[in-house]
Amino acid sequence: MAQIRPFTDEFEEYRRDESRSSGEAESISFPTSEQEVRDVLRELHAAGTPVTVQGARTGLAAGAVPHGGHVLNVSRMTRYLGMRQDADGTFYLAMESGVVLSELRKHLAAKNLAHAGWDDASLAALEAFEAAPEQFFPTDPTEASACMGGIVACNASGARSYKYGPARPHVTALHVALADGDLLVLRRGEVHADGRTLRLVTESGRELALDLPTYVMPATKNASGYYVADNMDALDLFIGACGTLGVITQIEVALMPAPAVVWGVSCFFASEAAALDFTEKVRPVLAHAAAIEYFDAGALDILRRQREASTAFSALPELSDDAAVCVYVELDCDSEEEATAELYRLGEVLEATGGSEDATWVARTEIDRESLIFFRHAVPESVNMLIDERRRADPTITKLGSDMSVPDEHLHDVFALYRRTLAEAGLESAAWGHIGNNHIHVNVLPRDAADHKAGGELFAGWAGEVTAMGGAVSAEHGVGKLKAGFLATMYGPEHIAESARLKAELDPKGQLGRGNLFGEDVLEAALAQVAGAVAAPAAVPAAGEKGGE
Amino acid sequence: MNIVVCVKAVPSTTEVKMDPKTNTIVRDGKQSVVNPFDASALEVALSLKDERAAAGLDTRVTCVSMGIPATERLLRDCVARGADAGLLLSDRAFAGADTLATAYALTCGIRALPAAPDLIVCGKMAVDGDTAQIGPELAGAFGVPCVAGVTEVVSLDDGTGGAGAALTLRRDSDEGSELVRVCLPCVITVSKDVATLRMPSISGVRAGEAAQIDVLTAETSGADAARCGLTGSPTQVVRSFVPEREHVSERIEGTAAEQAARLADIVRGME
Repeated sequence: MAQIRPFTDEFEEYRRDESRSSGEAESISFPTSEQEVRDVLRELHAAGTPVTVQGARTGLAAGAVPHGGHVLNVSRMTRYLGMRQDADGTFYLAMESGVVLSELRKHLAAKNLAHAGWDDASLAALEAFEAAPEQFFPTDPTEASACMGGIVACNASGARSYKYGPARPHVTALHVALADGDLLVLRRGEVHADGRTLRLVTESGRELALDLPTYVMPATKNASGYYVADNMDALDLFIGACGTLGVITQIEVALMPAPAVVWGVSCFFASEAAALDFTEKVRPVLAHAAAIEYFDAGALDILRRQREASTAFSALPELSDDAAVCVYVELDCDSEEEATAELYRLGEVLEATGGSEDATWVARTEIDRESLIFFRHAVPESVNMLIDERRRADPTITKLGSDMSVPDEHLHDVFALYRRTLAEAGLESAAWGHIGNNHIHVNVLPRDAADHKAGGELFAGWAGEVTAMGGAVSAEHGVGKLKAGFLATMYGPEHIAESARLKAELDPKGQLGRGNLFGEDVLEAALAQVAGAVAAPAAVPAAGEKGGE
Repeated sequence: MNIVVCVKAVPSTTEVKMDPKTNTIVRDGKQSVVNPFDASALEVALSLKDERAAAGLDTRVTCVSMGIPATERLLRDCVARGADAGLLLSDRAFAGADTLATAYALTCGIRALPAAPDLIVCGKMAVDGDTAQIGPELAGAFGVPCVAGVTEVVSLDDGTGGAGAALTLRRDSDEGSELVRVCLPCVITVSKDVATLRMPSISGVRAGEAAQIDVLTAETSGADAARCGLTGSPTQVVRSFVPEREHVSERIEGTAAEQAARLADIVRGME
């Protein structure tokens, strides 16, 4: 079985993730199979040791940062487990949770999936897959070194979610190891809640009756807290649960035929108002937009400076002086004719909203597309470099990036909120992200500790305002540890208490993903309540609490 | 000023795969692209055009290619990026051409253009053939100077001072970097990193789609059939193969002094 090792200095890097925050742990393991994960969990369960699940540690909400206890790192679980094809011709690929997205993409594109140990049915499906047109997994978080377990655990999205949605609809089955080492095998369409009550049976035959929280999720891109809805599919509860309900050990995803033609179009505008106007008007016009992304003036200025200052960025395409902001649209089409017609429609909206067809970059070749991908990825990288530089002067500052979304009708409102409050606070910022989903990452660029504090306060204020607009405090990064406070603002204390009780029912010792989603007080209260209910099942529910069974 | 840019369609892959049995390039069915060196050549031409336009001077950039009919799509892309016209030499009679016959066909095409070129820009070589011969051969055909392997276009003197138009260029040689001044008309071949080809705009794409791409055959270009295609190619490919590479490693043991001495011996042996 996987060795539980003391957390010595050699594991220093496992105290951190891409959020750049760090935690403490006493032990670490690197299981190589589902069985090893379950063995580790069983061993730790007796003492109720906290367990933080880690994959590639690319998360931005500190979900994988340890909170004492044990670090269970699944990055060595990288096997493909099997394939099937349904009557519609869709291919489904099962894999362990440590598979890295960039590797998955490479293996799918090259039709080169390691298939040792696959059964005959899987091998037959693989043969059909190899003969079929190229297939892909559409979820595309900017960080392609993310692993699939992490992507499912935070219901990650990426630019193409405008067309393909987040990871959730592409996940068709999961294996989830519970805190005591027992296992849930969940397949989409097999188990549904009855209203807000969900009954699950574990592999060992244990029956779980779970009261789902009663809140209504916002009708917008959302990765905030547990996914709950009336009569929901059981599978959905475990997607986006931030490692708090169980350890995802196996994942099956549905693949899609790769689009035949992918074009990228960068449109430059003289003002943010024109870019917002364009976004609103182009959304209903385009039938094949996979992504609609935004880069504000702060982001483009940082790119201009980096291009001059760093040889690593000198290959960036040169921005004209009058390009203040940029909207990038990706078109996924079946043919060049279809893409050309869509491009011309886009151009007409552009001309009608203050842009110009001349002030665009159209990437129709692999080299040009790579150039635009480099451009898009250079923005967050440049901001990280800038923050790292400032940290040398003041190590207390970190980057502060928002991840909030609002419904379509509040696009202008949320930008007005951001601009007004940033100006009032006198903060430097750069914003970019998924404007098609009204989901922008506003990054405060703190110059000192005071700026950092002011930025944090600003975000807390936005959480309330965005909630009032019917939005979500985290649209794709997940809540993790950093946004637990915003989640409380979004759903309110009663619903957070319901969520914590749900967690306590599945994880009665509160071991998994400790510090994620809930503050310690809320979790401890829920654990005590669930423990009390188990000890005294006839206890009368507290006021405001849903009735027991 | 008339600038001609020669472009070649090459397989659209950054990883050229060779069939180990036939030693030929594996065509994976993906669409062809403009040879990356020729893309840089086009950007050199477009930059010169921009520079001259800023000074109120007219420049016409024409892209010329020899290839199958589908190459027309690439010439439209060149127009989308800023070229003024495209000319395609396409005929079964051109098939199987070596560099001499290709340069001959291109020469016929360029001679058929409405105006004689002041400057012909080629990529230094094609990524699928690596011969680097077309540019110098064109210079020979037109009887003009050729500067190969240009790494920087330093300046264009349009000749208004009376000394005649000339280009000042930098090129790499085995001895280092040379600064060359060459009178027009001339041929230059450029390295890949001399410039990065700009992307087209939406209006550029519209222009490319609307453009008239002229197509000439051996006959309509006035070519002598005996000098075209396989018939006109003196090059005989006896065998092509992937060179074998030998990797030898040696582990150096012993004290630091002994290891340093052995390392010094190895380095001396390389001289």
